[in-house]
Amino acid sequence: MQERTRVMAESLLSYVTLAMILFSIGFLGVISRKNVFIVYMSIELMLNAVSLIFVALGRYYETIEPQVIAMLIIAIAAAEAAVFLSMIVVLYRKKGSLDSDIFKVLAQKEFHG
Amino acid sequence: MVDILFVVLATFAICGGLGMLLFAQPIYSAMSLIVCLVALGGIFALLSAPFLFMVQIILYAGAIITLLLFIIMFLNIRDDELPKEPNKIKTIAIGAILLVPFNILVFQAFSTLPQKPMHILGEGFGGIQSFGIELFRGWLVPFELISILILVALVGSVVYARKDKSNG
Repeated sequence: MQERTRVMAESLLSYVTLAMILFSIGFLGVISRKNVFIVYMSIELMLNAVSLIFVALGRYYETIEPQVIAMLIIAIAAAEAAVFLSMIVVLYRKKGSLDSDIFKVLAQKEFHG
Repeated sequence: MVDILFVVLATFAICGGLGMLLFAQPIYSAMSLIVCLVALGGIFALLSAPFLFMVQIILYAGAIITLLLFIIMFLNIRDDELPKEPNKIKTIAIGAILLVPFNILVFQAFSTLPQKPMHILGEGFGGIQSFGIELFRGWLVPFELISILILVALVGSVVYARKDKSNG
């Protein structure tokens, strides 16, 4: 290790630590919550943590390409939001619940029993 | 000064994330997620990405999470219709313990990189001009593919949400 007198906001490791904490929170949300909205928000949080690592590394290597990748991640998240939310609306109309366990059956026809 | 900013923004981001994880009501979770995303936008600004900061606030906090809030309010879920989560805290604790080795691995991988100071760069890095030049020179094909993806998502969500006459 070199000199340790650096400020926190200028070292790569603090950003990486923040991104890891946020990614872990998102992962815990996906595995432990049953509400589909919370699962969706956790996925969004994980995407954000990954783009934070991209941007931090881009600043580290002083290149702008990771920022473009982060922008494309935001665009993909927008497309995902549209499809996911309309799917939640349809499934909630059909099943009347937000529990992610009942979404195991994604068939078009109902089972009736 | 920039250190205080970083600590405050990181605290807001982590508290927002934890709030999103722990609140039972989805609407409180969405509000916490907005706090978290706006704080992350500030951190993007600290990493000399002003255009991304703008996009994060306008698109993420302003459009995507607002759409989510709209859907949550549209479904109008009552308290007793929320899914029961009896062992939420237990699963979170076990998962957090299991994630520690993974985090240590990533941290060690990143600490092998040589340290170098990351000041905020001035004009010309991360601004709208350099960003646009990079986007339309090096990333034109992914950009067009993503516009097709968004079009497909638009059509798909309309097809999903339409009332199905045959099945009732």
